[in-house]
Amino acid sequence: MEQILATTLRSAAPVVLVATAGVFAFRAGVFHLGLEGLMITGAFTTVAVADATGSVGLGILAAVGVCMVLSVLYWWVIGPLGANVIIAGLGLTSIGLGGTAFALGAIFDRRGSMFTDTVLPRPVSGITSGLGVIVSEHSILVWITPLIVLAAWVILRRSRFGLRLAAAGEYPFAARTAGVNPSIVRLQALLIAGALCALGGAELSVGALNNFTENMTNGRGFIAFVAVIFGAWHPIGAALAGLFFGLADAIGIQSQINITERVPREFVLMIPFVLTIFAVWLGGLWRRRSLEAEAGYAELREPDF
Amino acid sequence: MTDGLQRWASTAAMVGLSFLLTAAILQVSGYGVGDVFSGVIEGSITAPGAASSSIRWAIPLLLIGLGVAVGFRAGFFNVGGQGQFYVGACAALAVTLGWSDGPAPLVIPCGMLAAVVTGMAWSLLPGYLRVRFGTDEVLTTLMMSFIGALVLQYLTAGPMRNPSGTGQTAASERIPEAFRITDGSGVSTTVVVLVGGVAALVWLLLERTRFGMTMTLVGRNPTMARWQGIDVRRVGLINFALSGALAGLAGAVELYGPAGRLVTGFSPEVGFTAVVVALVGLLSVGGTIVAAVFFGGLQSAILFLPIVTDLPSPALVLLHGMVAFLVTVRFRAARRQRAASGAEARAS
Amino acid sequence: MTAPRPPGPAGGPAVRCRSLGVYFGAVRALHDVSLDLAAGRIHAVVGQNGAGKSTLAKVLGGLQAPKTGEVHIAGRRLPAGDVRAARDAGFAMVHQHFSLPPSFTVAEALELTAARGGSRSIYRRTDLHRRWQHELADVGGETALSTRIRDLPVETRQSLEIVRALASEARILMLDEPTALLTPAATDALFERLRRLRDRGVTVIIVLHKLREVAAIADTVSVLRDGELVLGPIEWSEVSQGRISDAIVGSAPAAERIAGVGAGETPRPGLSEGPTPPNTNKRTLLELVRVSSRESAFEPGLRSVDLNVEAGQIVGVAGVEGNGQRALVSTIAGLQPVTEGSVIIGGADATGVSAGRRRLQGLRLVPFDRNSEGISRSAPLWLNQSALRLIASRRQRSPLVSVRGLKRQAAEAMDHWRVRYDSVAQPADSLSGGNVQRLILSRELAPGLELLVAAQPTRGLDFAATGFVRRSLRELRQQGAGVLLVSSDLDELFELSDRLVVMYGGGVAARFEAPYDPSAVGDAMTGAVR
Repeated sequence: MEQILATTLRSAAPVVLVATAGVFAFRAGVFHLGLEGLMITGAFTTVAVADATGSVGLGILAAVGVCMVLSVLYWWVIGPLGANVIIAGLGLTSIGLGGTAFALGAIFDRRGSMFTDTVLPRPVSGITSGLGVIVSEHSILVWITPLIVLAAWVILRRSRFGLRLAAAGEYPFAARTAGVNPSIVRLQALLIAGALCALGGAELSVGALNNFTENMTNGRGFIAFVAVIFGAWHPIGAALAGLFFGLADAIGIQSQINITERVPREFVLMIPFVLTIFAVWLGGLWRRRSLEAEAGYAELREPDF
Repeated sequence: MTDGLQRWASTAAMVGLSFLLTAAILQVSGYGVGDVFSGVIEGSITAPGAASSSIRWAIPLLLIGLGVAVGFRAGFFNVGGQGQFYVGACAALAVTLGWSDGPAPLVIPCGMLAAVVTGMAWSLLPGYLRVRFGTDEVLTTLMMSFIGALVLQYLTAGPMRNPSGTGQTAASERIPEAFRITDGSGVSTTVVVLVGGVAALVWLLLERTRFGMTMTLVGRNPTMARWQGIDVRRVGLINFALSGALAGLAGAVELYGPAGRLVTGFSPEVGFTAVVVALVGLLSVGGTIVAAVFFGGLQSAILFLPIVTDLPSPALVLLHGMVAFLVTVRFRAARRQRAASGAEARAS
Repeated sequence: MTAPRPPGPAGGPAVRCRSLGVYFGAVRALHDVSLDLAAGRIHAVVGQNGAGKSTLAKVLGGLQAPKTGEVHIAGRRLPAGDVRAARDAGFAMVHQHFSLPPSFTVAEALELTAARGGSRSIYRRTDLHRRWQHELADVGGETALSTRIRDLPVETRQSLEIVRALASEARILMLDEPTALLTPAATDALFERLRRLRDRGVTVIIVLHKLREVAAIADTVSVLRDGELVLGPIEWSEVSQGRISDAIVGSAPAAERIAGVGAGETPRPGLSEGPTPPNTNKRTLLELVRVSSRESAFEPGLRSVDLNVEAGQIVGVAGVEGNGQRALVSTIAGLQPVTEGSVIIGGADATGVSAGRRRLQGLRLVPFDRNSEGISRSAPLWLNQSALRLIASRRQRSPLVSVRGLKRQAAEAMDHWRVRYDSVAQPADSLSGGNVQRLILSRELAPGLELLVAAQPTRGLDFAATGFVRRSLRELRQQGAGVLLVSSDLDELFELSDRLVVMYGGGVAARFEAPYDPSAVGDAMTGAVR
């Protein structure tokens, strides 16, 4: 049981970080399907730079920088250049997945994965029994994640910046009349999202593990995306949804160990995806009423230009 | 007219730009771009077997891409082609292995029908959720795609596994040679006629039938379509069914054609590339054919390239990503004109 | 009539524009507009649709950067297209479209749009509420600060817009068509408020549609036409209404355009070409029997509505917006199910019949919002025009259609209705508002029509287009069709309707026969029926 909870925290942390990124993007009006690509880019950059410099801090800094640059490009393409948000987002994901795999082979000349000794510190470790197991062996990023979620809540729900961001996403005309440039606000939101994705990726590669592997995010970016919807676009809600997925993951891993004899592994692996469909369905039902309420605004709402 | 031309020009420019960017990355990474370029030409056209290999890869891209084009036309972002493709292939394999002593002219159509129906079903679940509950179809089709991949993995590693197989990747038994519609090259008259016929039917449906036009209206403005008395839910369901059917058929063609058996995770990029293909083809049938041949050639080249250079296949994923990232960009002038005329309409 | 004139801040005009120009491609939205507006007065700006009124408002408010010219506010030159700068200069704007995000609470919305923020960038809810409680007292209502904007009635939302605008202690308040969504009573209340503001020294600029309203409020009037300032600003007391009308419409050729609707442009809905309905003038084409429907989140559902429309009749539906008109039209169209009662179209029970089938039975619709519900803006004209034909001809055997044939038919119909276009392939959003409405009419008023439900058919149209649409409706009545006309424009309803019902809270609050008593209708609209 303790082990399951510990695994839950460990698998949830990267998803929660990336889901928080998604909340920023969603609230600013960007249906961000590039989360997966940014996350894996973050994971790769952290390992590459940390290994080269011997400093995990520099690695994370570099990852944040690279992901922010990609986010600016994404913003530029979907904003000023008017590309389709979803297609460009999926493209960004492919760029991340393909780019990191390519760089791994072509630049670092490694096949499949790349190990490093430089990993994140683990404030509590070595506890092997009792409730302590739950908090043991977690990287510093897991510990910081709740603070980040709390900060996101304050920024989004209790700050003037949060109001501007929500206005830019929900009703750009309102933002403009308030003297806010929705496009700039969207850029700011995407930059924050980029940084958070980098952290999520870093936790995956040098937090929970000590290596980068091709395609190691394995759909976690999409799961985070779903957590945003499941969590009703709310930072706390998304974090709870992320935790829930972490739990499902932990149970999946556990049952893989225990019941593989009876249940084929593939079916266990399907659980998160089935749950996700269920979640999207439920989340859609939940949001429906409010969408309907806003339908009356259709005629008042200007297309964003 | 000029509007259409502008869109083609803009798309071509963006595809070109993606290539330049990827080439730049290759150059920086130490690959000779000239070598890669001549390698691509060689690997897609001039080398022995390269041209037919290009067509072989174009066929699934075209079938799935047509499904994507049909879906996007009606405003449904059905991006689950990969999973529909997999389950279609699995259904065809099940029929074929279960009836391996049947006559080929009967078994193959039955297998194809099974593939079409299964692909349809895989697409209709998200489709139903979409039209009935408004559930976002981008995510559900994507999830169904992941599930489809696991179904394939389960079948090839479990019930349909070739017991004598020794390789590390799980693979099914081979279907009897009598049921193949092509040899290993994946190209034959039968296949070309089949795929050409399907493309012609899709064209007829989209461009020359009331239903096709209704679909376009639904895609452009579903609210208006509803006010016009169009049954948007029905259109949506038929639409999802069509996309799934085309992807499922692609799976059967893959099985009866070049593959002959199913391997876990085969053709992993084909679903996403088909989305890119449909978009580059501007959701028209002709454009999708051209784009499918083009990207089929690239795929073929990547497989041939190791002979010439040691370019790894993730470079192709990177390139597809670049194209998807940029292909929906529209020239500023065209958009500004749009915005202005829109502003006029609003002002009055 | 003439108000006291407090001196302006620097003695000069409150607003000064010099040769403003805004161009969209070949379209001149504004051209060489120079204008001085004195401080402490109420200035009306009038003109036809597309004359540039809203563009002028946007330029002054900093939402649209002008291509040429400059704006001075209270003697200071504004940087082009900078909302903040305009507000810092004391210029506040109430837009035609509401500018408060629907999901925000009142307090959040006010905080968002306040020119200068509270003390800190991070707030606590209680602080926020304390800060805005005081400002809200001015609205007079018992609006709670934690109410969501979308749950507020239209009038309250508009009051909030004014509160928002004035929260920054604006010296100049501009309102862009503020009366479009208001009842007569609410309009009077708004005007009273504006007069009080003027008396406190605030300069008010108000864009209006109706000369009656201009007469009620304005100190000066300015007229825009085709993007140019053609009259004023001139004292209202020194100018005749006739001169203003002439200025709005333009000189001879333009006047002819309006008058010409009668002469050269008699609309001829092609009814005679279709299967003419057996015209036993008392045939009931539409009957609602105790119809109720579920409420939507922003409008009440129908409550036991009884209504009928007979052949050769225009039945008007009046009411403040949001009192069930949308539900009424959707229910008749078959877009929304009824929970009780029955809908009878053309004598046959249509309660469970699909929207498409109802269309086949001769029901035609002019929807509320022509740009989002009436057309697809990105689809080509011919497809927009053919939409009904895609359904109507489903009984034919072949599923194939001739695109060339559809294009030809579309072109013929559009020519008949004088839609101005270059090519049937151009996207519909390249048409002006009036032309879009003509396009819709060319589609809906085609042969086979028995019953037309027209929702706000003239909203936002200029004089010429309005006249054209009204004439078309009368023509339909003459030819024996039934028309249900839903409108916010009481003048229009009084002018056209044979009978009038007033909707309130989802039910029919009152029924009237011509001649109408405007004050009784107004009472019924506001729920003050005794």
